[in-house]
Amino acid sequence: MWTAPVAAVLASACVGNIGNEPEEAPPPQGTPTDFACDPTLVPETLPLRRLSQRQYRNTVVDLAAFAVPGERAAIRGELETTLDRIIDDQPIGEDKHYARLSRLDQSVQQNNVDVAYDVGAALGTAITTPPRLGTAVGPCATDGDPSNDDACLRDFILRFGERALRRPVTDEDLVFYSEPAGQSPHDPADYADVVTVLVNAPEFLYFVESGQPGEDDTAPLGAYELASRLSFHFWQTMPDEGLFAAARSGALLTEEGYARELDRVYADPRTRDALAEFFGQWLINSTLDSFQARVGVPAYDALLDGLTPTPTLREEMWTEVVDSALYHATDGTSSFADFMRSDRSFARTEDLASIYEVPPWDGESEPPRMSQPERAGFVTRAAVVATGTLQSRPIMKGTFLRKALLCDPIAAAPADAPTEVDFRPGMSTREVVAEMTESGSCATCHVSFINGLGFATENFDSFGRLRVEQPLFDFETGAPAGVASVETRAQPRVDGEDAPVTDAHELTDRILESDKPYACFSRQYYRFTFGRREQDAPDGCALEAVQDALRDGRPLGEVLRLVALQPQFRQRTFIED
Amino acid sequence: MARQTKRRMFLQGAAGFSLAIPFLPSLAPRDAAAQSTSVKRFVAFGTEHGGVWQSNMYPDASTLTQTSSYAGHQIRRGALVPQIEGDMAVLSPVLRAASHRLTPALAQKLNVLRGFDIPFDIGHNSGSYLGNYAANLAEGGVGHDMQDSPLASLDQVLAWSPSFYGDLGTILERSLVMGLSSMSYGWSNPSNQSGDIQRISPQESNLALFERIFVPPAENPEELRPPVVDRILEDYRRLRDGNRRLSSGDRQRLTEHLDRLDELERRLSVVVSCEDIESPTVASDSVDLENGGQQADIQYWQLMNDVIVAAFACDTCRIATGLLNEVTHFSDYPGGWHQEVAHQADYVTWSAPPVAHPQDILTESKQAFFEHVFLDLAAKLDAVADPHGQGTLLDGTLLQWSQESGVATHESIECPVVTAGSAGGYFQTGQYCDYRDENAPFREAEPGFVVNSHRGLIYNQWLGTVAQSMGLDPSEYETGGHGGYGQVAFGFGAYYPSTGPVVDAMGDPVPLITS
Repeated sequence: MWTAPVAAVLASACVGNIGNEPEEAPPPQGTPTDFACDPTLVPETLPLRRLSQRQYRNTVVDLAAFAVPGERAAIRGELETTLDRIIDDQPIGEDKHYARLSRLDQSVQQNNVDVAYDVGAALGTAITTPPRLGTAVGPCATDGDPSNDDACLRDFILRFGERALRRPVTDEDLVFYSEPAGQSPHDPADYADVVTVLVNAPEFLYFVESGQPGEDDTAPLGAYELASRLSFHFWQTMPDEGLFAAARSGALLTEEGYARELDRVYADPRTRDALAEFFGQWLINSTLDSFQARVGVPAYDALLDGLTPTPTLREEMWTEVVDSALYHATDGTSSFADFMRSDRSFARTEDLASIYEVPPWDGESEPPRMSQPERAGFVTRAAVVATGTLQSRPIMKGTFLRKALLCDPIAAAPADAPTEVDFRPGMSTREVVAEMTESGSCATCHVSFINGLGFATENFDSFGRLRVEQPLFDFETGAPAGVASVETRAQPRVDGEDAPVTDAHELTDRILESDKPYACFSRQYYRFTFGRREQDAPDGCALEAVQDALRDGRPLGEVLRLVALQPQFRQRTFIED
Repeated sequence: MARQTKRRMFLQGAAGFSLAIPFLPSLAPRDAAAQSTSVKRFVAFGTEHGGVWQSNMYPDASTLTQTSSYAGHQIRRGALVPQIEGDMAVLSPVLRAASHRLTPALAQKLNVLRGFDIPFDIGHNSGSYLGNYAANLAEGGVGHDMQDSPLASLDQVLAWSPSFYGDLGTILERSLVMGLSSMSYGWSNPSNQSGDIQRISPQESNLALFERIFVPPAENPEELRPPVVDRILEDYRRLRDGNRRLSSGDRQRLTEHLDRLDELERRLSVVVSCEDIESPTVASDSVDLENGGQQADIQYWQLMNDVIVAAFACDTCRIATGLLNEVTHFSDYPGGWHQEVAHQADYVTWSAPPVAHPQDILTESKQAFFEHVFLDLAAKLDAVADPHGQGTLLDGTLLQWSQESGVATHESIECPVVTAGSAGGYFQTGQYCDYRDENAPFREAEPGFVVNSHRGLIYNQWLGTVAQSMGLDPSEYETGGHGGYGQVAFGFGAYYPSTGPVVDAMGDPVPLITS
């Protein structure tokens, strides 16, 4: 009979046994949290950053809609097969599982270039088909009068080119982009070729930023470049007419005009897409298993105890975390601490809502408040405490919080990290984990970095439900095999301190008392914003500004906009190798 | 004797294709068909973790009937002879398959190689399979230090080598990187092998892959408009060369994009007729890998295999890699694969015992991969005559299966390599070879932890041998004054010497299987 199965991820530098000689690895060091702003240091600018694949897709569709208003959905459908051949960006991070951001993928691969060519051709064909040609290019393209075709093409390049290149079209551009069309008269394929070249232009696929004229190594961005930074950062797509207008007029280069556009952009619903990507990639617990995989295993079925997980329950849990972040990032008042402590449920479906014992949220009205006082916010959301397995996973919970939320590294376990435990009837998951990891060299990491963070939420089961004791089952038959006590007192050692906490609320307090979550947020948001890993010294000003704002409890929405007010968001450098 | 297939004789039938591939050589481009037998092909499969006990992975030690001295120690070899157990042909618990799949003839085209090491703590990684050891997740030690020194993976070295692709006339895709994860790393500027090393994103869809290697003939080719790539190329040049307000990094990125455009232009100029190869009828996207268990994993990878065969048959690509990550672990085990099976397969007892021991589950999963993916591809390649010469496509191919770790997960000592095909006669096949030094223990078993391992040859030597088998001269791939392919580092102190005959031998072709 098996009564206390444990997921035995060992994430420590325990004793190895190579040639029977023990090797002891030093304990991992925490990531620095003390940023310092030295305005004399010049942050680097990522060389010729490219659009993310998400941004690229959105921009192609938006450009089509600009050319042929009212045909967005139809053209998107026509381009779908080609767009589907784009290989998604690869989320990149310091850990295999957690806090991996796709915007950090700046690789340009053959597929990017090949598919972009095909997409350009497909877009060219789509917007120049006879029913759309007159709208996209103008009546002059369909009036049968060849004498106005050159002017027609010129006008098209001026209008369409400004959007595609995201800057004014120069006389040189007019000549260059007219060439694919050849001599007039022009047929639809001529215009399609022009479109193909324009949407493969470097200014379309990359953020080509020359800055305002000057000779210095650092230059303020031009108005159009600023418009693109704002729209692609917050909307994941090209600027709208408002931003183009502000760029044309120069208003974006004034503090007042920039602030006005920043507020407008942030308030636009499209911002939610970018924020969802950020919070989703940062705070999703990707090691959460599917809740369907074990259905049919007797002990699992017994543990379900009436819960019927839908095939999408895991994804619903992930969505709930993102919804919570979006809610607090857009309500105008909530701070990061409010997000961390939020007692609102964003469970949209019956099965997830039943775990919280609240009614489902309709996605629009005020989210219901949790009915269980033990729910302490983020650290007790189902996506964080659930596992989809037969038991809670305090090690995995602790590892997730340590790595993703606090940005502390943890060394991988060696090949022969011991997992043998003298299992005894009635042992709780926590007791097994403690016995397995809290002595010998394993304790170096498990006691100091991992276990305590996970133990504090052991009053939630593997589906994220509140529990006051841990039921045990025979693995093979699912027959009840007694209960084990649940204990949430723990020493999370967020900053290495020894003071214990009694539950998830105190754990959250302890986390928020530390500099780590604010520094971690700042680091992750920096990476998301600038598409590269931060360098603590030269990037210290931006990192510190965001960290301070978070720690000071300023509204989350304000913090997320703050990065766009930093000098390096509005300038670029030309540092030569 | 190679089977001399006739037109469509195997289609959707004996070899299990889901793809209609007409028989060749008439299918091959005429100019290519007239070439010699120098065309080589390379396929690398990698499976995550490792950790298969030696007794499960390898044939019985009694089959090692010959001994010779090499690199300061004794190495052994024997013939691969499947034992028939009911309907199964068995080389080992992992290397077993239905006897109609693992036929004696096919077994003679395999090699099973034991005793290749990566001599530092590399842990979880995606780069060891093909020599980019920098692609690891070590958070300390030599492995972590190595992260700053990436190399292109060997498949990409081949893909951009003129020795491998002497004639690109029919090549639409230099390499296929398929599946849900990738072990392929290439240069940001591949044509001159410079720039950053970047992981090549895998293509998950068999249909998308197929589109890359097969271009249907145009209905009215005379009506085709010429490509406008030349104008796009010029657009990048005029920005790179005409804008003073760019950093050197900006210009480098533009140059790299130009390199990609050159390759696009080359691809668009390829005119190749593959007669009536038809698109796959089943989309890999339709396979439920999340919940479909072993059968779904098999179906997915067999669909990928079909694309490889089509590409090789049509000679539109000669390289493919597939990293099988945990999503496709070839098991119906309902629990967490990573923690409950892969990480616990080395222990006498384990923390979440299902019905079977994790090692048994692991062995069963690797067996399923071997039989239904590795052998499936080998058989399909062996069913098609090589349009460039004698024998079958398999004969001109090196198909390799390696694993992320050796006998213990996280540790790359005694990494198994299983191959099929002789790379055009370069390899002598049908052998089980053990390169370990039995007098050089590395990890010793202890109560509860069963792994017992020995040092052997360095994995770089194997990869260098692969490169040579594909026609490359060592000067094309060796770096840092070392033989073989891959970064060189030693991180186990006295337990893995950094000098001596094993290190000196790294540049040699691996013995026993090469002349």
